[in-house]
Amino acid sequence: MKKMIKYWNKPSRSAYLFLAPSVILLILFSVVPLIIAFGLSLFDVSITMDSARFIGLENFAEAFQDSRFINSLKVTAIFTGLEVPLQVLGALVVAALIAKNNIKNKIFRAVYFLPVICSATAIGIMWKMILHSNIGFVTAALQSMGLGKINFLNTPGLTIFVVSFISIWRSFGISAIIYVTAIQQVSASLYEAAEMDGAGKIRQFWHITAPSIRPTFWYILMTRFAGALQIFDIIYITTNGGPNYTTESTVTYIYSRAFSSRSSMGYASAMSVILFAIIMVVTVLMYHKMNQED
Amino acid sequence: MKKVNKWKRLAALGVSAMMIFSTVACGSDSKEGSKTDDGDVKKSTKGTTISFWNSFTGSDGDMLVELVNRYNEENKDGITVEMDISSDFDSQLSTAFAAGTGPTMILSSSAYRFTYGDYMQDIGDVFDKTNLNKDDFIQSYLDYCSEGDKLYFVPFQVVGYYMYWNKDLFQAAGLNPETPPSTWEEWQSYAEKITDEGKNIYGSGISYDYPYQIAHMMQRLGGLAVKDDNGSWKADFAGNTGYTDFLTMYKTLIDNGDNPLEADTDSMVSAGQIGMTVGGPWVTAGLDTAGVNYGIGLIPQGDAGDMNSVEVLGFSVTTTASDEEKEAAYKFIEWWNSENTEGSSPALEWSVSNGFPAYTYSVQEKEEYKQSEKLSVMSSANPDAPTDFIVDSSFPGINDILNDVIPEMINSVAFGNASVEDALEKAQNTADKIVEEYSK
Repeated sequence: MKKMIKYWNKPSRSAYLFLAPSVILLILFSVVPLIIAFGLSLFDVSITMDSARFIGLENFAEAFQDSRFINSLKVTAIFTGLEVPLQVLGALVVAALIAKNNIKNKIFRAVYFLPVICSATAIGIMWKMILHSNIGFVTAALQSMGLGKINFLNTPGLTIFVVSFISIWRSFGISAIIYVTAIQQVSASLYEAAEMDGAGKIRQFWHITAPSIRPTFWYILMTRFAGALQIFDIIYITTNGGPNYTTESTVTYIYSRAFSSRSSMGYASAMSVILFAIIMVVTVLMYHKMNQED
Repeated sequence: MKKVNKWKRLAALGVSAMMIFSTVACGSDSKEGSKTDDGDVKKSTKGTTISFWNSFTGSDGDMLVELVNRYNEENKDGITVEMDISSDFDSQLSTAFAAGTGPTMILSSSAYRFTYGDYMQDIGDVFDKTNLNKDDFIQSYLDYCSEGDKLYFVPFQVVGYYMYWNKDLFQAAGLNPETPPSTWEEWQSYAEKITDEGKNIYGSGISYDYPYQIAHMMQRLGGLAVKDDNGSWKADFAGNTGYTDFLTMYKTLIDNGDNPLEADTDSMVSAGQIGMTVGGPWVTAGLDTAGVNYGIGLIPQGDAGDMNSVEVLGFSVTTTASDEEKEAAYKFIEWWNSENTEGSSPALEWSVSNGFPAYTYSVQEKEEYKQSEKLSVMSSANPDAPTDFIVDSSFPGINDILNDVIPEMINSVAFGNASVEDALEKAQNTADKIVEEYSK
């Protein structure tokens, strides 16, 4: 026992003990399922995992011929293209406006952060009711203003914008708070020097704030990208992929294949692997770009 | 200083060990946990404890909890039913079965036998081993729960779909509020009369995102989508005149503005903005709460003839149950369907409180049941008519037809991507692939 304590007591070794809980959890709940998903993608296997049949890359071939899967990739790309830039830049602007520590800004920060702590289900149901084509508050208000009846959640071509808006509304608070924290770390002396040189607020923002918080910007950009490519909850609750599959994201479709119909775990895993590869490529490219800038 | 560092490290080591231990403990066998929680080892060894999983997360779940608690208190066999209600019941079940575990008893749609049939026991002997009278159960519902001569479920709840109409809107449109449409032609003409665009009122409330609703109506007009064709399955979409009529009617209703292009029509029904709709017994809860003056009746018949399409939910015993646990599950099922000294039973209470039609003749005969207008209407369907819902009841791919074929078909028609004929042709192709998959 003494020997063991002595062995682990060295700083270089005890570090592993501190890391152990996190590493074990990471292996159990991330690495192992990932490896299993890779394995399952090569099998024709149902949800109960019995009677698995090895079929090689057939699931992947089927995915690229599946019009609903291709459509879901398109929808996910459109959603990401709308959600990420608007959220990353919108949160930056808002953060710049509420960065100073005064009561008013603290109240605004709390208000912006509120949707982050609400469940996606509650948010989805709330927006579904507010935007309902006939009994929704917003729809009725717009109609009473003479703007006609807008069917926000049932119009192909429009609904994807609505879903993106809900998603941005729900999560931009967290991005804004991260930006605020980063902005507050920028040395005040830089702003004082700029002010003495006659730089206005906008020039200060572009030439001092923006370059100083670049790592935070990249962090938010990468995490939002990965998050947007995996969008599920808001879509599942508000539109369930409709109307006419125009908001069916890749993860929504994967879920339906795995749990709603056919229970094809192998096929769902193959689609997950494809999505994983896409997210990985995008993230690596961004990481590379970030390092280049540094 | 050195000593302090040593103790700090030891403390950190201890915390790390505790974290790992707690992680492992979280995944430990729950049976052991419950034994300790009870603090009564004697009880758990003397009686039998059975686990019972279901997905009744709604208000009816509260009643189920109450009834199970009553059983646990009342039964003299020392049986304890440990119920687990989960909104994620399906994935919980599949994960458990995949891991070689699972509950003693589940409560689910009888269609679960197609997915989890390998994990379900034949419980046909429940009538021999208990005082339950097989003849009291409506045979067509028992058939729905069977596969060949094997019974996988004892009925618990019969879910049929019915027509609901708003009597006030009928009156406002100059229609007799006591006479709902009896044909689909009448449905269309009534819808036209009821619709009042200025008031956001629609005569017909058919959702493009509600495959169960669509399927019940389609079936009345065009029969089953997958039939038994001399021992092999055959999909019947393309060229099905009944389905063509239904889709044409739906498209016309939308184009004329008599049916909203809306996924969530239930909210509109409760808001009193829909003249006629089709839905399950749960629709009445929303209507009652909102104070809507409504009528309930059978869905108009079409050319496909008399039918009583339903989904039957039932109790089933899994393969993880021991003989002793199976017997305990039988006793619970027997209690559920047995009358007490006052002539009531949990099955009757459930039926009357939640508005689901009875699956036994004895419950249907009860005065309390007969007094309910809703239940009388629901029970007025011919019990001898086929109970198959959209596909032959022994076709395992019902979920695929409901989740993959019908939604794509109805969406493409509703949003004008395809003509009715093209939509049916595409549906036929998809259904053929599903049929082929299940015919292997």
